[in-house]
Amino acid sequence: MKKLIVLLLVFSVITFALLANGAAESQAEGSAEVITLKVFDYAEATTAGFEETEALWEKFDEENTDIVLEKENLSNEPFHQKLAAYVAAGTIPDIVYMYPGGRSAVIHEQKLLKDLKPLLGDEFLSNFLPAVVDPEDQAGHYLAMLPVSICYSSVMYVNEKLLQDNGLEVPKTYEDLKAMVPKLKAKGIQTVLMANKDDWVMQSCLYSTIAGRFVGKDWFGQVIEGKVKFTDKEFVDSLRFVDTLYKDGVLSRDTIQISYGEVPGLFASGKAAILIDGDWRQSVFLTDKSSGEALIAPEKQQSDIVLEAFPSIPGEKYPGVVSSTLGCGYGISAAIPSGSAKEAAAVKLLKYVYSNEVQKTYLELGKYITSRTDVVSDSLEPLTLKMKEYYASVPETCYVLDSVLDPAIYTVINKVLQEIGLGTKTPEQGAAEIQAAADAWIAADK
Amino acid sequence: MDKTSLKEKKHAYRWMVIPPFIIYLFVLAFPVLLSIILSLSDFNGGRIFGAGSLKLIGFGQYAKLLSDPYFWHAFRNNIYIVLISVFGQLPLGLFLAYLIYRRIVRLGTFWQGVLYVPSVISVIVIGIMWNLIFSPFGPLAEVVNDFNRSSYQNNLEKVLDNYNYQNGDAIEDAMIDDIIRIDSKAARKAFDDPDKGIRETIAVLSDDTDEQLVLDLSNMLSRKWSSDFLNKDGASMWPILFVTLWCWTGMYLIIFLANMQKINKETIESAMIDGAKEKSILRHIIIPELQGSIMNCSVLCISGSLNSFALIYSMTGGGPARITQVLAIYMYEKAFMGSPDYPMANAISMMMVAFSLLLILLTRKIQKAFGGQDDEN
Repeated sequence: MKKLIVLLLVFSVITFALLANGAAESQAEGSAEVITLKVFDYAEATTAGFEETEALWEKFDEENTDIVLEKENLSNEPFHQKLAAYVAAGTIPDIVYMYPGGRSAVIHEQKLLKDLKPLLGDEFLSNFLPAVVDPEDQAGHYLAMLPVSICYSSVMYVNEKLLQDNGLEVPKTYEDLKAMVPKLKAKGIQTVLMANKDDWVMQSCLYSTIAGRFVGKDWFGQVIEGKVKFTDKEFVDSLRFVDTLYKDGVLSRDTIQISYGEVPGLFASGKAAILIDGDWRQSVFLTDKSSGEALIAPEKQQSDIVLEAFPSIPGEKYPGVVSSTLGCGYGISAAIPSGSAKEAAAVKLLKYVYSNEVQKTYLELGKYITSRTDVVSDSLEPLTLKMKEYYASVPETCYVLDSVLDPAIYTVINKVLQEIGLGTKTPEQGAAEIQAAADAWIAADK
Repeated sequence: MDKTSLKEKKHAYRWMVIPPFIIYLFVLAFPVLLSIILSLSDFNGGRIFGAGSLKLIGFGQYAKLLSDPYFWHAFRNNIYIVLISVFGQLPLGLFLAYLIYRRIVRLGTFWQGVLYVPSVISVIVIGIMWNLIFSPFGPLAEVVNDFNRSSYQNNLEKVLDNYNYQNGDAIEDAMIDDIIRIDSKAARKAFDDPDKGIRETIAVLSDDTDEQLVLDLSNMLSRKWSSDFLNKDGASMWPILFVTLWCWTGMYLIIFLANMQKINKETIESAMIDGAKEKSILRHIIIPELQGSIMNCSVLCISGSLNSFALIYSMTGGGPARITQVLAIYMYEKAFMGSPDYPMANAISMMMVAFSLLLILLTRKIQKAFGGQDDEN
């Protein structure tokens, strides 16, 4: 038995020695002034251009031997949820990709990131669109992150060739759109495709525009102040229009069973004439530089596809407006000590990420239309060029609801939009539920 | 055993038990305790320790939870999963294990492998796979709809031939009635007013050739099978329940089969000599012998069902509009989606623990009431 005890003690000593050694090693690393930066990025390994963008980060890593990047990539819901977990645990990574408000609002409001304005400097920031460097447009009213783009969350990707083959034209009014339904249905083609299984899609990619057309932009400020209500006629009308979309068959109720990953393939294979999604979706159709393949080949992007705003809606008060918001971007954790070498390393990394060279690559990969104004390229695919033209064609913008309303309210809107789609709730019932959520939020905020 | 060796033994036990016990406290007991504290607090994110912002506010979250219809909806869905697990997976697993054990089916080892495979595949992969199968554009819908369309097309051709109809001819009322009669339910689903709808569609398709017209009308009017379980509240859980059954029955099959192999074969042989049939052997020998395993499996089933998360999350994410939500997803949603509500999320997790314990106690009571013994085999 004594042997057993001795054995246990030896085992414990070895374990502790190993652990202590590990700690000593990490201290030694620190003394050699190798700075480790943890980066939490939004990236999807399956999308075209992933390898190219990762290579940009690796290049920085290699060129800066005194800085080690530990990069974590996630996308869609898992990204937001992991970020929420980091916030909850109080351990947000050194460099974080995030939204200017909405789902990242808590990071702004709790001031978990540094103000980038003094760190990046006015000279560097002068290379960007004035709208993206305006601190007032971010939830914490300071430049917590630098938006890489301005994001148009509602784009109609129209397969013009498919419409022409069936004797139809790109719709300019809702009546045109509705009139297409029987003909396309008879051909076994969906008129409008959306991935409504994910509840944010309808709200971000279509309803925000519809609401903007019915109530405008200022209305949402007033609703938070309690001056107008979600149960007011103009807002209920916007919900009624969503109901009409389903009842007219423009949007099939089947779309509520289609997940976000499915739609690009379905649209590219001609199962639907129109796809409604955000501007970010263009990148999935472009040529994957590593394989040389594209979901929609550049020549077809040129000849078959047009990008349009949702057609005019009967009863709209703000014609042509499209929902847009500041795009996402990177920020630096406030936990990094001011004036430290780590802070300098983080700033160096951001200046690299937002450099002309890196932003040009992102633009050419179709990731987004960069907010950096001095980036030009002559090797863009037709769809990216068409996206630039689309931006220019939008006369006025309105809010993306999840960037302006509190999650306590917009999550209810997301749910109500799905319930209208399922036919389990009327627009009036939905509006009452949204107002109840708003009342509760306003009461709690007071 | 002399006194010294007993003392040494106790000493050794202490040394062996204390380290894992400390690890257990940190890994299991501490989070449970913290969860209880958080459920009674007003914690809204940020650092838990050292920030000085944690205040205990009582049982308000639990009261809110009990009056929350979504909580009860999620709970109801969990009950469905418990029921399909306890009354689906277990009996089916037992029955299949018996078929293999008694060599009633051939190639027992093969079937054992086939049925066990789903248990070893990642549930996320399973969720995505079934999601694609159940998609409105998935293989299931394609096959069923192609079949419906071609049979409808045959009938429609006959009707149009009867009236010698060619695209552009005047439409007879009787012909429209006959078209509706092919599948009146599908026609009513396609149009609120089938008569008017069909006439308008034929007008829209006036440029079609006769063949094309038949094809297009069949597309329009044939019965569409869409796996629209999610669009119907009552049926929304069906695909999930089916996949749950498919996924884990194999695991219980293996457990039951392993325990059946421990049963003394002579008992079964003597029962057979006495003229016992398979049904009697199963009822009077196998089931009583497996009572302990059945009890253990029930506990596994119940706790697993209340915790079920990954499969449902990958299949539906709890949506649309929360109709397939279960408690674990509701808890996750409260904690990590939208505006975080950690106290509520922790209250939900505590309720899950409470229900789990309650159901396990109930299982034990039922087992005792039926004269069963505790798990000692």
